[in-house]
This record gives sequence, C-alpha cells and structure tokens, in this order.
Amino acid sequence: MTWGTHCLNCLAGCPYRVFTRDGVVAFEEQGGTIDPVSGGVPDLNPLGCQKGSAWSVQLSSDDRVVHPLRRVGDRGGGRWEQISWDEALAEIADSILDAIEEDGPESVVFEESVEGGLLAQAPFLRLAALLGAVTLDAQGLVNDLPVGQHLTFGTFSCASTVDDTFLADVLLLWHANPAYTSIPYFHFISEARYRGARVVAIAPDYNASAVGSDLFVPVRPGTDAALALAVCKVLLDEDLWDRPFVCTQTDLPLLVRTDTGRYLRARDVERGGDEEVFHLWDEVTGLRAAPRGSLALGELRPVLSGRWSVELADGSTVEVTPVMDLVRANLEGYAPDDAAAVCGVPASTIERLARMVAGKRCKILEGFNGPKYFHGDLMERSMCLLLALTGNWGKPGTGIQGLALGGLDGYFLFSMKTKKGVEETARVLDGIDLAVQAMRERDPDATAEMIGIQLLSLATASGTTAPPVFFNYHHAGYRETWNRQEWSDPTMSRGFDDYLSDAVRRGWWGGVARPGASSPPRVFFSVGTNPLRRARGGRAKLLDNLWPKLDKIVVVDFRMSATALHADIVLPAAMQYERVNVQYPITHMLRLSFSDAATAPKGESRTEWDIFAALARTIAERAAARGMHEYVDARRQTRHVDRIGDDFVLGGDFTDEEDVLDEWVRDSADAGTLPVGSTIETLRRDGSIRFTGLGGFAPGLAVATDVRADEVMTAFRWHVEQNLPFPTLTRRAQFYIDHPWFLDAGEQLPVHKEPPKMGGDWPLALTSGHARWTIHSIGMGNRPLLGTHRGRPLVVLSESDAAARGVVDGDQVRVANDHGAFEAMARVTPRVRPGQIIVYNGFEPHMFLRWEGANEVEPGMVKWLHLVGKYGHLRYLPFGWQPVPADRAVFVDVARAAESPTVAPPGPARRDGR
Amino acid sequence: MFTYSLQGLELTAEPTGVLEVEENETTARSAVYQVLGAFFASGDATSFEKSREGIWTKELTEAALLLPFALAGGEVLLAAGMSEGEYAAEFDHVFGGGRLLAGTGEAREAEVASVRRDYEYFGLAASEEAPHPPDHLATELDFLQYLCFKEAASSSPRLATSFRRAQRDFLSGHVLGRAAEVVAAARAAGAAQPFAGMAGLLGAFVADDHGYVAGLLGG
Repeated sequence: MTWGTHCLNCLAGCPYRVFTRDGVVAFEEQGGTIDPVSGGVPDLNPLGCQKGSAWSVQLSSDDRVVHPLRRVGDRGGGRWEQISWDEALAEIADSILDAIEEDGPESVVFEESVEGGLLAQAPFLRLAALLGAVTLDAQGLVNDLPVGQHLTFGTFSCASTVDDTFLADVLLLWHANPAYTSIPYFHFISEARYRGARVVAIAPDYNASAVGSDLFVPVRPGTDAALALAVCKVLLDEDLWDRPFVCTQTDLPLLVRTDTGRYLRARDVERGGDEEVFHLWDEVTGLRAAPRGSLALGELRPVLSGRWSVELADGSTVEVTPVMDLVRANLEGYAPDDAAAVCGVPASTIERLARMVAGKRCKILEGFNGPKYFHGDLMERSMCLLLALTGNWGKPGTGIQGLALGGLDGYFLFSMKTKKGVEETARVLDGIDLAVQAMRERDPDATAEMIGIQLLSLATASGTTAPPVFFNYHHAGYRETWNRQEWSDPTMSRGFDDYLSDAVRRGWWGGVARPGASSPPRVFFSVGTNPLRRARGGRAKLLDNLWPKLDKIVVVDFRMSATALHADIVLPAAMQYERVNVQYPITHMLRLSFSDAATAPKGESRTEWDIFAALARTIAERAAARGMHEYVDARRQTRHVDRIGDDFVLGGDFTDEEDVLDEWVRDSADAGTLPVGSTIETLRRDGSIRFTGLGGFAPGLAVATDVRADEVMTAFRWHVEQNLPFPTLTRRAQFYIDHPWFLDAGEQLPVHKEPPKMGGDWPLALTSGHARWTIHSIGMGNRPLLGTHRGRPLVVLSESDAAARGVVDGDQVRVANDHGAFEAMARVTPRVRPGQIIVYNGFEPHMFLRWEGANEVEPGMVKWLHLVGKYGHLRYLPFGWQPVPADRAVFVDVARAAESPTVAPPGPARRDGR
Repeated sequence: MFTYSLQGLELTAEPTGVLEVEENETTARSAVYQVLGAFFASGDATSFEKSREGIWTKELTEAALLLPFALAGGEVLLAAGMSEGEYAAEFDHVFGGGRLLAGTGEAREAEVASVRRDYEYFGLAASEEAPHPPDHLATELDFLQYLCFKEAASSSPRLATSFRRAQRDFLSGHVLGRAAEVVAAARAAGAAQPFAGMAGLLGAFVADDHGYVAGLLGG
C-alpha cells in the first residue's frame, strides 16, 4: 500500500490508499486518517470522490500516451510516428536553440499549469527560468481567482479552511455548486445545516447544491451585483448593519473630494503630504488623517454622513464626503423592487435574505465561477460589501470562500538556492531577512502580509512569469476580438487598443508586458495544460493565429489531449501513482498531500523532472556542439546555455524528484511552514501533513491569520482581532477605487452592470461550471466515469427554450453566435431557467462534431479596467492581479442541428498549420 | 578548541565557516558522540587496546567535562583476562557481527534512504570507503557529532536552531530506537565488559541528550 493523491485542479488533495499487486495498481480507497482539528467540529474525513476513486482506471486508458511521438503530415492530421527520447529531446533542443539565436529566449513560451501538482510544474518553470523564456501566468488563462476580492481586500486568497464552513449560521452558496465541485467538503454544509445553519443557494439554475438548501434564490445570469446591492440597501434601510465593524475594517469612513471623486489625500491638504495618507471626519475634532499602521481608530469617532469644506494646501477649499454617503447614494438605485426587475429575484426574497444574514455569522461559498463573468469583479465587490455591512469576516464561520492559494516555503526557496542543504537554506533565508529589514525600515507599518507581497513582487521582477494578456494580444489573435466594442462594456470610452497602449505607456506593466509585438513566439510548451480545449476564444483562434507562427509545439501529458492532437511532439508523462508528487498547497485544506510511486511509469513515460532535466542536458550538449555558450536575455541577464544541464540539477544535487521534494519539505519545516522534522519519509508514512504556518510569501500570508494546531483556520483574524491593516491602497477593505479609469467607468463603487453582449445580441446566456464527473478534461478518457452520465457533451437548456425551438431531449443542437458555433446533444430540464443554457466544463473538442467545442462561441473578452496598474494594490503579481478572460454569460442561440445549414460529418475542421 | 572528526561520513563540499570552536556544552555533546561512535565502530585490535588501557573511559570523561548533564555510567573496564581474540568475538556475539548495529528487515532500504537524505541535507554523504553502511550506529553517532559541532560553530542563530532541531529529530527518528535495541541485545547476550557498560552508557546518554535538546527547543 502506498499513499496517493491526484494533484488536480479541484485542489482537494484527498489522501488515498493505493493498493498494488504484482506491480499493478489494483484499486484505491479513501484514506480517512485525518485527525480532528478542533473539538466539536467534524473532521475532514473521509475526503475523496468518485473521480479520485476511479483514478487507477486511467493508468491504462485508451487515450494514454506511452511513447514519444512526432507528428507525420499536417498538424492535427492524426498521424504519428514513435521516436526515441533522444530523438525527441534533440529535436526540441535544436528548435529552442534556433529560436534563441534568431529571436531571443522570449520566443520560447511555456504555459503555466494548474494541473499535475508541484512536481509537474516546477521542472518546466525551472527550465524557463534558466533559459530566460516566458511563462504565461495561469491565472491570466484560466481566471479562477476572484478579482473582486482582490479589488476589495488587496488579495485573492481569503479562504478559511473548509471546516470553518461548519461554524456558519448562514451559508450562501453563491456562484458555487459544491455538490458537483467540492464533493469531499460538501459534508460540512450538511453538517452545518444539521447544526442549525441556514443554507441559501443563489444561482440561475436549480443546481444539485440547491436541492439541499433552505432557500433557493434564482438570479438571472450576470445580475448578482444587483441582488447583493439590494440586500445591502435593505440592511442600511432597516438599520441592520454593523457600524463598528464598518468603521474599523473598511474605507467607508474615508473622505472623498466631491469635485474630483478622488480620495482626500495628505498631499491635497499639506505641501509635501503623502500620496497614500487618507482622511476621515472625526465627530469631535473634524478632519483627521486615518491611521495607516492599524485599523483601530483609537479616540477617533468617524462621521459616516455629511459634507464638509476642507482647505487645501494651495489655500482653496473643496467639499468632501465620506465613502459611506456615496455608498448610500449608490444603493438608492437598488431598492428591492428595482433590483428585482433586474435580477429576477422577488423583492420579498431580497428582504428575507437581508434579514436572514443580519446579525448572523454568514459565509459566502463562491467557488471559481464568479470571476469568470465579465463583471464578476463587480459582483464580488458587492458580495464583499454585504459581508462588511454585516460584520462578516475574520470571525469563525464568516468570510468569502473563493479559490485561495497557499504557501510551501521550500518550493519558493528552491528557486533561490544554488546548492543543496540546510546551510544554503539559511543563507537564502538570511538574505530574505535583510530584504525584509530594509522593507520595514522604508515602511515601519508594513505587515507580514505586505512584506510577503513585496517579496513576491521582487521575485517577479527578475522572473519569467508574465501575464498572458500581452502574448494573446500580440500573437494569438485576440486583438481584433477585444476591440469589438459591441462585445464589450458600453461604458468604455475608448477602444481596447487605446487602453492597452496607454497602460503600457504609463509603465503599469513595466517588466512584465512581454513578449512584445516584436518578439514572435517560436517554440510553445504545454505541460499538463490543454489550451485548445480551454482557451476562451476557441480552438480556432489559436489554430488560426498562434499555431502558424510556431516552429515547434511540444506537449507533455499523460493523455492525448486536444492540444496534443495538434502538437508537433508529444512527450509521455508519468501519471500520479507512477511517480512522486504533492498537491498544490491551498489554504482550504491546509494540508500537504503526497502521492507516491505505487508502480512504474507506463511504457516510456517519465516524470517531468526527469524530462526537463534531460532536455536541459540535451540543450547544453547541442549548444556546445554549435559553439553557443552564452547569450544575453531580454532582461540583460547572461544565460550560460552550455551549462544549463548542470544548473538544472544544481551540479548533480537533484537528480530525481524525490531529492527535490525532500528538499522542499525539509526547507518548509525549517522555515516553520510544516512540522519540524518533516521529510519525504514523513509524507510517505502519513500521506498528508497539516501545515503549521502560512510561510513567508504572499500566497499563504494572504489569509492573514495564525495557524493553530487545535483550531479551525479562519481567514482575516489578523485584521479583526489585531486590527492589522489590509494590503490595499487605503490599507482598509476598499470599496471605493478612485483610479481615474474606474471613475470614468462608473465603477468606483460596486454597481450592477449588465453582462456585455459577448458573442453578439443573442437571446440565451451560456454559462458553465465544473462537471460532477471530471476535473477539466482529465476524466474524459475514464470509461467508468463517462458511464455515470451520458458520456458526451451536453447542452443543458430549459423546457421553455427547448419547446420554443422545437428541441426535445436528446436532439443534436447547434449553438451559435457571432463568434462561432458548436454542436452537442440537448439535455432538456426544468432546473435551468429560461434564457440560460449550460455546457459543463471539460469536454474535449474532439468529443464534439467537427472537433469544435463550447469555447468556439466564447470571444474571451477581458475587462479593460484590469489593465490598471501601479495603483496601490492594483499591480501585477504572479497568479494575481491582471486581465483575465471572461467566459460566463456569453450570448448565443440554439437550434436543432438538423435545421442548421452547416452540419458536416465528424472529424477535425482543417486549419492551416505548418 | 574543539573540532569534529568524521569516520563514516564525508563532506560533500569544501568546509565552510569556522573549523574549530571554543569548547562548551555543545562541543562536549559532540565529543561524547565522537567517542561513542568510535567505540561502536568495531571490536578490532585498536578498540581492544583502548579498552585495555582505559582510554575509552578517559576519552569519555574528558569529553563529558562540559556536558550540561551528568554522563550516566561509570568507569568502563575490560573484563578481567579477556584477550584480543575474545574481545572481537564478544563484540560479534553481542552485536551479531555488527548486524544489530545497523538496520535489518524489510524496512532497511527505506531506512538507508532516509538517513542518506538526512546526511545530504546537512552537507554530508556516507563515505564509499566506510566499513559500515549508512544506517550503522557508528555512522549515525558520527552524524550527531557533526550536527552538534555545526550548531556550536554556527554564527547564524537560525542555522544553529536548524542543527539543533536536526539532532532532536535524528535522535528520535533513528538513534533512540537503535540504542534501545543495542542495550537490549547486550542484556540478552549477557555481554561482558566493556560492551555491557558501553551499551548502557549509550542508552542513557542518547536518552538524556534527546531530553536536553528537546528542552532547549521547547518540547
């Protein structure tokens, strides 16, 4: 028996016992060995779901790749030849070296992965860093992180551990369908309800999670902000709000100039005043600077309503008013009756919801869905306002739960080490201490969380990760789409081109706006990613625009994904159970889960560490053979390509992934993130270890709370219990964004905006969500899982919309808009609201007719305001603030395929490819 | 001044930092591990000679001068009339030809991998020329000797703490159990001196040292 987990983007990391007989995995079962954390709170056990329990089936599934393959004929033509590893690596190495010599290392592009675990990701990130290549930030591709939470709190990662759910009095399942997407955790919702909590499902469709709820609130797709703001209005009108919490935690007491709409800053009222010192109006002493080092206001008693005249540094006067007054005025537009007309939720239900939440411990379970709306940020900001008014964060059973990252310090430290061992770790940590000390000297009020952000920012400045918006704009064909203003928000006062060039010109993306227009991509790596299935904008966009520019497309995967089908070379990767790995650490779980090598990799498949170490060696050898020893990259760093093989393994210290993982674990233990004494053997014995700390880097620290061995972890306790400020511009939970672009767009406060007509003015809003039976496309080769449902792509639509179009359940239907089209089987159900259709995430394009999947109708629009930078907390961080492509509420229509004029036989639609 | 002396381990890189430190409580612990490691390395002629001349006892006494706790066990003398051949035979008898001093059974491979990783993380590797496997008690005591020295020699409080934690974890993870087996084996075999005495001294010392280090680390 060995421990196994699956390192999937559900991010659960459920420990499984994997049983092997005669070298073959026989079956797996849920571990159920997690100790209870806190008395009276259910434990995490058993963890797992049907997807994890069927993992071993895929070890020998039909779509498994087990030999290096090279394309024969046209890309996507489906003909391959088996080649040796040496041939494959030599061909890839030569392509990389050619690209570097002719166009520089930024012509080598890697897509960051969200699947496969840390040991699948670290190797190619390491090679990219050594080459000076470009790595496309996964957040800018998949858009899982809640942008509105970042706008409000200065961080994406606000998630408590999942057992905190049990402590809530009211649970709002908002944009989340945990019965599908969080199966291992769902019991906490049921247990909370058994304890007496009220469960409210807020969704357009009557989803599987709504079935077990106390109240179902059916909201029209994309109008959640109107609903949330209407609830906020009721809270204020009925005086159900938490004034002390609002005053302490938020920017609502801060003063705004009525002439410019900007915050009143110290530099306004005194010469040489600080740009980032803000003010409030004290009921006794009048105008006062708001403290920046603490949320606590001490003697100050801010007035939350009124208008005052303030003398400016130049002697003139200006009128100011608190943000709270602006919020009240803004909410005037969201009276329940008015909002009901927008969001489709009856006014009485809105009022009921407000009264249900007021005075209770309320938690919003948001999932990864909200941010995928074009105006998802506004929805989330509105939800956060609801929580602020009801005092609902930083206390057990409260807060908002979207995707949160975590920290494994050893992983971060590894990239800074030049040799193995504890002494090198201490050297690196001592260096970081010096940097931290310097940061504290510059800003004595900076919290550990802010320091963590600064450290990550420093690392980013010299790293290879870049937000993909620039790559997509210049090289992948998105520019024309993003400039279609009829598909974007009507409040844009300029074209997208103008905004983007303005943002670059102002230096808001300095150092990461790459590759630029003049750096054409030549070699493209997809390692465990699947852009042709996933890319908002569709497979056609990439095949027509990006693919022809690429000399070499390399896919590393264990299965023949849609992207692999269109690659030049496919390298077979070992699957979980065949190699050592750990799941991405996230704060939901607060555990590091381990997956052991229960059996040998199938065929010729290899681990990513092995593959990229071998590729690095091959690059060095072939560079030396062509007399190429070093080059200078775009950041003016000299890259010694002839020794890249040795550098990859640090001179031989890290020849296999067990060495690497052991180092990460030991270093994490040394840094205090894992229990002292933890090693790979600890993981091998226990399968999963609870973190003991958040680490010293931003992703973990963003939760802003202490980790205690015997307590459920509740996010934001530092803010509420210790009054430590937020890492925002105003250092408070910030609802008012006074950036000129936000003011221009009318989004300085959370408001409702109709979803733009992405795809054209069509009657049905296409939404999506993770399916119950797969994580992305990973499970699409798993026959037992496919057998649990219809096993093919489905268009789920309402009875009335189906009837209006003459569609009956089981019909093949064509879904189309101005961007593209696809066909799939109709599933007609009363649980989907009229006007909405759902295509669950994960089906491969080649499961659709003509290999055209649901992303063909998604234009992949990005919101122009997310190009803002250098505004307090609105600045790029890896897996953080950046433009992200929307794919919810895309407008389409549906017709029976038989009536469509373009029905063609199955098979790939031909695309030009070199 | 004190420095370390490795027998079954070697540095993986050129030594860094200071190579000698003023004697203190920590170097005393290192010194005791050094003596114990050498004793449990073999029952050869040199060991016999040191036993006959009382050198083991002398070395232990000197090493323990600055120990922060008393070294349990007194003078360890050679059994009366024991010859060099009998000495070697008794070593083999008590410790199963040295087999009892290293791991056995199905878990052996994992144990060896585990201690190897420990050595490598702290800048050492099991010497190719060493007469003992990496999981031999003598090698493990050698490692503890080194960890104590590095703690004493470290100018970085962070690093000193890392070395100290490593001592505690290595003791609890590997050496306490092995020492208990050695004590039990000596008792079961009715071991003659000095083996009975040294086994008892080993068991008491590693237990006391573990308690001491754990106390310094706060539990």
